Amino acid sequence: MQAPPIQRLVTELGKLPGIGSRTAQRLAFHILRQSDEEAFALSDAIREVKSRIGLCEVCFNLAEGPRCRICLDERRDTALICVVEEPQDVIPIERTHEFRGRYHVLGGALSPIDGVDPEDIKLAELYARVEEGGIREVVLATNPTTTGEATALHVAEELRRRTPDVTVTRLASGLPVGADLEYADEVTLGKALSGRRAL
Amino acid sequence: MAGSLKTEAVVLRSIRYGEGDRVLHLYTPHRGRVGAIAKGARKARSRFGGRLEPFFHLRLILYEGRGDLLTVTSAETVAAHPRLREDRAALDSAARACDAVARLFETDDPNPQVFHLLRNQLALLDRAPACAGRANQLAFRLKLLVAAGLAPHLDACASCGERDHLSGFSGAAGGVVCGACEASAFPLDADAHEFLVEALGRPLADAPAATDRALRQAERAIGETLEHHAHVRWRPAA
Repeated sequence: MQAPPIQRLVTELGKLPGIGSRTAQRLAFHILRQSDEEAFALSDAIREVKSRIGLCEVCFNLAEGPRCRICLDERRDTALICVVEEPQDVIPIERTHEFRGRYHVLGGALSPIDGVDPEDIKLAELYARVEEGGIREVVLATNPTTTGEATALHVAEELRRRTPDVTVTRLASGLPVGADLEYADEVTLGKALSGRRAL
Repeated sequence: MAGSLKTEAVVLRSIRYGEGDRVLHLYTPHRGRVGAIAKGARKARSRFGGRLEPFFHLRLILYEGRGDLLTVTSAETVAAHPRLREDRAALDSAARACDAVARLFETDDPNPQVFHLLRNQLALLDRAPACAGRANQLAFRLKLLVAAGLAPHLDACASCGERDHLSGFSGAAGGVVCGACEASAFPLDADAHEFLVEALGRPLADAPAATDRALRQAERAIGETLEHHAHVRWRPAA
């Protein structure tokens, strides 16, 4: 039996994704072995992130304050919006340095099986943002999964109806660099073939 | 018992798990519903590619260890259904069909009829996405009820056997009922009754058309039968 504070720490760590009870116990003992300074730095970081980080009022990305850094950056193209499912999806797109527009984070994807309907994610906010004007193109960068595709089809249809002058595009599908054709699935390979380009 | 299992399967659900894995809900012809883990399936260079997404009809090799989940060791596509993935209504219909199977057939009891029905429904939605809709979805659900042994009585009163004056439907009685027996029933129009009979008798591709009112009543009849006899509730058909 552990002392109650240790047990509480193990229980809390065990609630983290991918952490089982043995790993939680190992982490708890690691924290106990750390200096006060190191251990309190972790708890302070958790407290700080929970108290200071919220959602951007424009794009619903994570933000320290009312607006995120991308929405505050005046060098970004305001006429171009990239729609993603979750805040963590912004990071890989930013890493490409290919996109200079702004984002709209839906906070999920439509899924009739899980009961996620259009009103459960930030779709109304996206339509309002596009209808306000000044938008040239909306890039749909939801995941290429069944729910991501369903969301992209839904958004594309709605935007075509509400704002026919706005161009709606979808991220291209194809083969990952370094992958083998042998292992490619038929849907991906079919899309890669139909989207082929001249060299 | 540890060993390999070779089976065909339809992917009902695919759930992200851990750093790069997926947990799959599969429906197989001879093992019913099984759960499996596909390690590394979300990584860009995974040998599974995108073929572990819902609605794929696959030929799988699964390793069966001591745990609850089997492990996917090989996956080969039988049908990818690419066209249904590009149509919003067909995609929605396919999702509801898989959800209906997952809710009613939760165990590993074999039921090849359910597998073939689901496979045919997905193939139909892929071949003719325009047929997606409430009528098709209800016809599919009716056939699932038959496969589950819960086919509603439609030719005579489910309570007294009277063949005429059938004016209601009772989930508790398990079918249509006559005017004298309709105490716990709801009114069922002749159109709705005809839809139920026709939908049961025809192939999925020829699901009959009906008015909105008739389809609403048919959906209620199917839903009440299911709730009363299997204690399962399906999501709305459309």
